[in-house]
Amino acid sequence: MRASTVKTLVTLLACWLLTACSQWHYDLGVPLADTPAPAQHTSLADALDLLGPPLRMSATDTGFVLAWEHWHIRENSVGFSLGALGADFMSADWGEMRIKGEFLLLTFDKDHLLTSATRSEWDNHGGGGKAIQPFFGFISVVDVDDLTEMMPQHRWGSALFQRLPGTLNANSNLDTGQSGLQQRGTPTAAGQQSLEMD
Amino acid sequence: MKLTTGFIALLLCTSLLGGCAQFESKRGVEVNWQSTVTEQLVNGQSTRRDVLAMLGPPSQVIALDGESALYYLFEHSEGEGLVLILYNSMRIDTRYDRAIFFFDENDVLTEFATRLYPADEG
Repeated sequence: MRASTVKTLVTLLACWLLTACSQWHYDLGVPLADTPAPAQHTSLADALDLLGPPLRMSATDTGFVLAWEHWHIRENSVGFSLGALGADFMSADWGEMRIKGEFLLLTFDKDHLLTSATRSEWDNHGGGGKAIQPFFGFISVVDVDDLTEMMPQHRWGSALFQRLPGTLNANSNLDTGQSGLQQRGTPTAAGQQSLEMD
Repeated sequence: MKLTTGFIALLLCTSLLGGCAQFESKRGVEVNWQSTVTEQLVNGQSTRRDVLAMLGPPSQVIALDGESALYYLFEHSEGEGLVLILYNSMRIDTRYDRAIFFFDENDVLTEFATRLYPADEG
């Protein structure tokens, strides 16, 4: 066998043994693209007929707000490890995330008439990272947990049974439906939830 | 020749070790808001008692300055994945079956809406 062939085969073998890539796709909800935002003074009944039940809702001082959303998240990562060769002391990882979504927010007054409608769409790079980690892999270079978590309605019943910092901030809790709402991925280190950090 | 054989064996092993994955996750209240059920509800006549009797406890109760809303949510995720060791792919689709009911200060139904995806109709 020619030396160049051997080299090629060895390189291919190394590539197969050492690297791997993963792709995760999350699709949360259904796209809103074809649904127009209702006009001002549209009644609540007409808005619900058009859009169906909202995904998020909260009371406000002047009425209530309803929100519909759709998220598509793509996570790509490539890893390189010597573990397959019995030398599990070094790994290198690269990852990135792409976020695409839509959010429609409707505000209603106490007479159930639409007072404002706002819509946003985005298609952004959601972050990523690179890591070289000896011996143990402590760091995940892409984190999508805050974007893929379950809806807050599932946590409504437990809102007043949190640890003390959270309970003290119950009046500002965005999961109760009484204090506003927030989109997925909103940082908790500022704003209403900052008191809950412990 | 030995190396070629090894390489082919590796390819074969990798192919054999590849696999697929599938999972399903369901969270939330039991779906009872099929159209055959909710067509019995009439705005201006049905009461909160009627809705609770038909659908059971909601996921969330929202107080609206005298009025109130009951929100029902069922979250259904399905995932499919391809595990080829060197390339792995997972696709997760999440759908939200939901229903919302608004009541006035006398607990009479004023508006409601439901959404149910075909897969959850049964």
